[in-house]
Amino acid sequence: MTSDAVERAPHGRSGLDPAEECKRIESDLERLKALIHDAGERLLLSFNEVAALLPELASTGEQRARVIESLHAAVTALQFQDMATQLTEHAQRRLSSLEERLRSESARTVDGAQSHPPHPVRQLGMTAGSIDLF
Amino acid sequence: MQSILAVDDSASMRQMVSFTLKGAGYEVIEAVDGQEAFEKAQMQSVDLVLTDQNMPRMDGVTLVKNLRGLPAYSSTPILILTTESSDEMKSRGRAAGATGWLVKPFDPSKLLEVIRKVIR
Repeated sequence: MTSDAVERAPHGRSGLDPAEECKRIESDLERLKALIHDAGERLLLSFNEVAALLPELASTGEQRARVIESLHAAVTALQFQDMATQLTEHAQRRLSSLEERLRSESARTVDGAQSHPPHPVRQLGMTAGSIDLF
Repeated sequence: MQSILAVDDSASMRQMVSFTLKGAGYEVIEAVDGQEAFEKAQMQSVDLVLTDQNMPRMDGVTLVKNLRGLPAYSSTPILILTTESSDEMKSRGRAAGATGWLVKPFDPSKLLEVIRKVIR
């Protein structure tokens, strides 16, 4: 596509209606969620198999402590599935809301800004989160 | 054996929590949301409740409020384990009567340390 063609395209580079573009992104997010779910399930199966072998893997107290430490690290990391799924669902809700706005007449009004529910996941990594005792 | 009611709508999270708690010698009762947890808590008394916040049917803060309304749970430790980390949400949890607010992901050793500190 030439630069002139891009400029002439009614709805950006892809030529898609923005609301339609939102729908496609929503579909991509749904696929991402499915991939995360599948990866999470497979990792959990492997985790359970290793955890079940704990008595055989560790014959001494020291070995047992090391295996448990590794399993605990895996427990922290495996929580990515829940966090990633929540984040993806949040993005889907926002996208769906944006799609509705784009499709409606109110999208053109000045006060079109809508409030969104608070962001459920702000973590940037998989290190353990904070603890507050009241 | 002390018992813990573990509440989360994510099956993988329930599995991670159960693995951690059972490994430390606790009996674990699982519930998939606040509503089921509230029903199970009335059928069987538990020593601690560990609940997620964002769940269908009944969220964690509502579960805390409802449990605190039952004489049997007026002083039972209730911990909220969630991805939510805003001060506003923590204040809501505290006002509802939660014992503590833990942000996911949890470190099993630290979670057990907190549980040992608050469980009776």
